[in-house]
Amino acid sequence: MNLASIAVKNTRRNLFRTVLTVVGVAVAMLAFLLLRTVLSSWTAGVEYSAKDRVATRHKVTFVMWLPKRYVDDVRAMDGVKAASWFNWFGGHIVGKEDQFFANIATDPKSFFDVYDEVALPADQKQHWLEDRRGAIVGSALARQFGWKVGDKVTLEGTIYPGLWEFNIDGVYTATRKSIDQSSFFFNWEYMNEGAPAPAKEQIGWIITKVPNPAQAAGLTKRIDQLFDVRDIQTLSMSERALNTSFLGMISTLLKAMEIVSVVILLIMMLILGNTIAMGVRERTHEYGVLRAIGFMPKHVSSFVLGEATCIGLFGGVAGVALAVPLINQGVGRFMEENFSGFFPYFRVATSDALIALGLSVVLALVAATIPAYQASKLHVVDALRRVG
Amino acid sequence: MIPISYNVRSLFVRKATTIATAFGIALVVFVLASSQMLSRGVQRTLGKSGSAINGFVMRKGADTEMSSAIETPKVNLILAAPGVRKDKSGKPMGVGEIVMVLALEKPGTAGQVSNVQLRGVPDDVLAFRKDVHIVEGRPAKPGTDEVIIGKRLRGQFIGLEVGHSFEVKKNRRATVVGVFESQGSSHESEIWCDIDLVRTAFGREGMVSSVSVTLESESKFEVFKAAMEHDKQLGLQALRESAYYEKQSEGTAKLVSFLGGAIVFFFSIGATIGAMITMYAAVSHRKREVGTLRALGFSRITILSSFLLEALLLALIGGGVGAAASLGMSFVHFSMMNMASWSEITFSFDPAPEILIRAVVIGGLMGVVGGLLPAIRASRTSAVEAMRE
Repeated sequence: MNLASIAVKNTRRNLFRTVLTVVGVAVAMLAFLLLRTVLSSWTAGVEYSAKDRVATRHKVTFVMWLPKRYVDDVRAMDGVKAASWFNWFGGHIVGKEDQFFANIATDPKSFFDVYDEVALPADQKQHWLEDRRGAIVGSALARQFGWKVGDKVTLEGTIYPGLWEFNIDGVYTATRKSIDQSSFFFNWEYMNEGAPAPAKEQIGWIITKVPNPAQAAGLTKRIDQLFDVRDIQTLSMSERALNTSFLGMISTLLKAMEIVSVVILLIMMLILGNTIAMGVRERTHEYGVLRAIGFMPKHVSSFVLGEATCIGLFGGVAGVALAVPLINQGVGRFMEENFSGFFPYFRVATSDALIALGLSVVLALVAATIPAYQASKLHVVDALRRVG
Repeated sequence: MIPISYNVRSLFVRKATTIATAFGIALVVFVLASSQMLSRGVQRTLGKSGSAINGFVMRKGADTEMSSAIETPKVNLILAAPGVRKDKSGKPMGVGEIVMVLALEKPGTAGQVSNVQLRGVPDDVLAFRKDVHIVEGRPAKPGTDEVIIGKRLRGQFIGLEVGHSFEVKKNRRATVVGVFESQGSSHESEIWCDIDLVRTAFGREGMVSSVSVTLESESKFEVFKAAMEHDKQLGLQALRESAYYEKQSEGTAKLVSFLGGAIVFFFSIGATIGAMITMYAAVSHRKREVGTLRALGFSRITILSSFLLEALLLALIGGGVGAAASLGMSFVHFSMMNMASWSEITFSFDPAPEILIRAVVIGGLMGVVGGLLPAIRASRTSAVEAMRE
């Protein structure tokens, strides 16, 4: 009988407790993996984001506007392939105020020059270009509200007062994952005509396309330098950084998740350590016998550590086995369909699964260190004398 | 009835296990209480900024001050509306204010900027907002580029100290001459300056963002609101100032509560399992004792309740520790982006007895849930079998 088989056999001594502990570890690992997946798919989103586009907004916040003539200034710069402009409209459907979706005014003509991954049937595209009140919506958003091409949608403006009626001219999809399919884009001219005086000829941000990604960083600097001497300064950044700024508190959120994922591991160690300590206490007598018949302290402690490893591994495997289908088939599908702009690929990363497995074993060993040390330090006589 | 001292001593015998289990529950109670304290802190910070006796007018459809704009001629119309209180000299009590956001550099971050709300206020604002007091320096002179800052902003950004200055826009600096407090409201995270400074620096001549008025009484609000919204041409909407700020805090407070709830859900599964393991061990360890108790004539229900009580006791120890630790969070202040204003507001954890009690009760509940099955097993112990072991 080798160490491994003894360790496995020992876990069956109090099967019910082992099962409870494994469930505890599995739940902790499930929560850990869920949080890690949010974090790593957020980072991975950078990979999918368009690197040949630069976003430029007001230096302070995208809520404050830039003069529209800045677009022409940007277009006149060297190394600019195309540029389009956008305004956050901030409207909502009357009666459905709490159902948030991005509704953005843009220039349809230049829109497709910068967002070349937006796929729209040619007739719908043509229709949108000609329709002053036209709007195109992402396929996920169309599904959410049950919109079809030809529908009329009325939005109430929060920034631009009044009720605004739009025609749904097209439902777009994307050939790459660098744009989400839950936005509502409409004709900027329509908004500008009806905007109150201070908001006229004002734009929210500019998206500039460069011929190749290597030139993006240089252009970012040059744009801000160009406008630095003007009345209103700009801040240029990657397109993804701009998207992130729409989600005001995302960085606080991500930090909180990181902390929580660590605390979850601590709870897991508590449960596991408790179980192992109990086992050791109950088997004190038995360890005395083992020592009496010639087993060394290191053997005793390796029995304890071996058992902990087994329980940790079972729990880790169970946790990963639960998490993978739950995240990949459930949560992940939902995130990819609805938030593809931010989470283009929401799946359990193999590396995260391996980290979870590794951690469940390593932390089990750490949790068992004290009980194992105590077991190895037992005096044979004391241990034999102890009852229960 | 089995004396409670029996349970207390039993918990003491297995110190390490008791501590580990109680710590797990303490963690859950701590997270639960802290997240609710923060959520309450958010609501209170923003809630204190408005009062129910004040009316608050924005452009119709606007959901924040940032997106609202009212032309100046309408301000006098609003102040003249029925229900607005007048001061001794017969002047209506109200102010038109304009808000903007500034990006200022944080100290020691090598150029990292964050947003601060800038509020342009009229000369008589301190007479109108009576809860605002200058705690250092002096009020700003009207018509100058002098500003006063909320006390929570002090030292948070470069230039925000009495006597220092910062750029409002290119080549236009404003000097800080005073610091004010306002009983912990969100105003304490704002810079207040002359209304014309904001107007000229941001091209908002002839505009205000919102108008606040003091009403003759809280019940006059309906009259005031009807007067504001009757004329559709004006395009105005009136709210109670308290209701406006409550709405502003909703999103952030909800998010904090939701996140806290999700964490507590996972944590409490772990802690309940921990309690269950501990109690099962306690029951099997004391099988002979339980058998003896049965033989002495204690009923099954007595034994069941004794073990449940022990589990509850264990959980309450943890819950008490967790709640006490969460009280320590009330010394922590931290800045968070407020989604409604796109600027940073400093919030604090706001303890309330009901939050702590609720958290401890939930902790106790985890003990009871975790201890139920083990207690049932204990109550089913047969006296004869147990004593034979």
